[in-house]
Amino acid sequence: MDAHLICDAERRYPGGATIEARFEVPLDGFSVTVLFGPSGSGKTTVLRLLAGLERVDQGRIRAGGEAWSDAAQNIHLGPQARNLGFLSQDYDLFPHLSVYANLGYGLGDLEASARQARTEELLELLDLRGLGERRPAELSGGQRQRVALGRALARRPRLLLLDEPFTALDRPAQLRLRRELRELLRGLALPTVLVTHDRDEALHLGDRIVVLDQGRVCQSGDIQRAFDRPTDPAVARILGVETVVRGRVEGVAEGLATVAVGPARIFAADPGGLGQQAFVCIRGEDVAVERQGVAPSGSTARNRLPGTITTLHAEGALVRLSLDCGFPLECLVTRQACQDLGLVEGDAVTAILKAAAVHLIPHD
Amino acid sequence: MDWQAVRLSVQLASLTTLVLLGLALPLAYWLAFTQRRWKFLVEAVVAMPLVLPPTVLGFYLLMALGPRSPLGWLWERAFGHTLPFSFEGLLLASVLYSLPFMVQPLASAFAGVERGLIEASWCLGESRFRTFVRVIVPLSWGGILTGLVLSFAHTLGEFGVVLMVGGNLPGRTRTVSIAIYDQVQAMDYGPAARTAALLLGVSFLVLTLTYALRRSQRKPWTLI
Amino acid sequence: MTRLAQLLLSLFLGLNLSLGAAPPRRLAIAAAADLQFALVDLKAAFAKTHPETELALTFGSSGNFYTQLTQKAPFDLFLSADLSYPKKLVEAGLADGASLATYSRGHLVLWVPKTSPIPVETLGMKALLHPAARKVAMANPRYAPYGKAAEAALLKLGLLEAVQPHLVLGDNIAQTAQFVQSGAADIGILALSLAMAPVMQASGRYVEVPLDAYPPLEQGGVIPNHSQNRADALAFRAFLLSPEGLAILRRYGFQAGGA
Repeated sequence: MDAHLICDAERRYPGGATIEARFEVPLDGFSVTVLFGPSGSGKTTVLRLLAGLERVDQGRIRAGGEAWSDAAQNIHLGPQARNLGFLSQDYDLFPHLSVYANLGYGLGDLEASARQARTEELLELLDLRGLGERRPAELSGGQRQRVALGRALARRPRLLLLDEPFTALDRPAQLRLRRELRELLRGLALPTVLVTHDRDEALHLGDRIVVLDQGRVCQSGDIQRAFDRPTDPAVARILGVETVVRGRVEGVAEGLATVAVGPARIFAADPGGLGQQAFVCIRGEDVAVERQGVAPSGSTARNRLPGTITTLHAEGALVRLSLDCGFPLECLVTRQACQDLGLVEGDAVTAILKAAAVHLIPHD
Repeated sequence: MDWQAVRLSVQLASLTTLVLLGLALPLAYWLAFTQRRWKFLVEAVVAMPLVLPPTVLGFYLLMALGPRSPLGWLWERAFGHTLPFSFEGLLLASVLYSLPFMVQPLASAFAGVERGLIEASWCLGESRFRTFVRVIVPLSWGGILTGLVLSFAHTLGEFGVVLMVGGNLPGRTRTVSIAIYDQVQAMDYGPAARTAALLLGVSFLVLTLTYALRRSQRKPWTLI
Repeated sequence: MTRLAQLLLSLFLGLNLSLGAAPPRRLAIAAAADLQFALVDLKAAFAKTHPETELALTFGSSGNFYTQLTQKAPFDLFLSADLSYPKKLVEAGLADGASLATYSRGHLVLWVPKTSPIPVETLGMKALLHPAARKVAMANPRYAPYGKAAEAALLKLGLLEAVQPHLVLGDNIAQTAQFVQSGAADIGILALSLAMAPVMQASGRYVEVPLDAYPPLEQGGVIPNHSQNRADALAFRAFLLSPEGLAILRRYGFQAGGA
């Protein structure tokens, strides 16, 4: 309990919108918790609540046993008292100060020599050597981000909050810096909360995830589990599980459930607690496609669904196929595979799907 | 050329500007950042001297500061002379009369500082006051300069309030604008013209310098 | 700090410091505007025998001074164009009755610039009805003694109604004179003492308003109770009433009045 940040708070806006945040963040050693959700889901507000930049209207936020915000007891620690590092989306570097001065801004309590030493250390750590005397306006986007990060780390905070740190950068920079960031944070053993709406980024950087939708936390916990097993269709949709359809549970036997979706019949692993109806969640990556007419030669895949390709959409190195197997089914295959099979719109194909990859969410 | 009047005017204008700076910094900060819903009332009160005829302000000050008023009575007991018809009385009147010329540019400049920068400073451990000093004030230098220049120039040119509250006492309350008035009445057109030209020249010089210094700021017509 | 900044700073601070220096003995006189020129001469003459006293002169309308003096405006001597004001101060207990003194009677004249087509010398008061008299300057009758007298004269002579729409009011008699002298007004009812000043003599012509048309403008002064320099005020009052002082006053048309 002591080594955790527990957030159990609400923020209400005059227009009627409410943000409810209930989740935990470990505070011992390195971990990255991702606040994930579509735009407007309240991720930034939650981050600002953690930072103390917004007040809690109901509930509380406790960190390591210390009350940071408590609506009932009228406690609100400002950001100054929380010893955290905060990196906003715009970086907010002080335009009238040099890189050197920006980095050392929060170090006013230190002696001049200590401040200088720490600033040098940061310049080194974030690969900013030689840029000390420049003004923020003279730096590139990536350099500015590193200065902002360095500035946030200067005071050795016990928690780092990052608001979409890579959004302002171009794609190659994003990919490169993601890797560098995770290594840096691991090296500093710093617990971090990161806001993003990019699924790949979440998967790359996060150990834990908090999924937000329309101001509510829908799911929180280990990241892989969340992606593999979303607790409800909204989460599944947000996490980018491509196919989410309703089905009627026909029967369950030996851990295998049979679900009727339209005219099709799908076998799925029994999650337990199934009633009459369920949502069937299938990730596009888990669907393989064969030309119809090929004789099945025995495989572990329990589902073979005949259908046709309704649309075909190239996405970089992959191709997204929209299939009609009696219900709409999304499928992602490599472009190479698509070309090899000579797949075009209108082709009759068979979708092959493992039962273990079909995720059922009971929904009566 | 009535150098005594010129000196007096310069002293009045500079002291007024200094006093106003001290008063306006916290007031402008409050106006720029408060969430209270009755802020608009304070804004209106601050802006009053802009539209109030100087004689109205002068009249009320005379009533409020004269020997028959509580404040005036106290002042007289303490200092031996009345508050109106004294330099201190003029100072008080000028501060009130030039208030919006300092407060408005300051408040506007403070409010223009990006919120993100202020919050970044807080997250780096700086108190509201230190954030004000280290971030808000440096980034508002244009507004501060405008406030200083406008207050100084406005006080220099004051006439109606000075006449009502000052009493036109040479060396004490005969400012340069009153002196010009006196000279014209005495049909002493030469000195009057010279004094007026001096004022014109000084005002133009000061304003030119201010505009030149603010060239780097991209907002063209912010009050000054 | 740049040299310019240093210079400016010393200008302000240096000036501020100099104001704190103790001045010589100061005598503040509130004088009716009609003494504009006479009092300058009187000051110069007084300074010869009293070099340690600094005379600070403020000219204005007597009515305004009265109001200011009731608010304890820091004047040591009040020279009014209308004795009723000093009398009122004495009655209100704000001035010393013993110091009350009259020094002359004020006279009204009708004045036009030299180049004016209006023949005041031949028309007398009827000049006010001349077509070229589009704007007629007069002191404000509400509080300026010369204005009150002028209004009374116009009323008595039956000219007020005709002249009323053309009137331009000056705050005091000196401002009124300036209106006409500068050409802003075409004709004015001014004080004789101002008309006799060199600058006015050189630029205009005048004719006296009949004495019986207006109540006498008794001019006198008084020392307010709150004066900080009674000694010098009394000295100046004595000088004013001395033969030398009265001679200077006569030069400006002030005929020596009562005691």
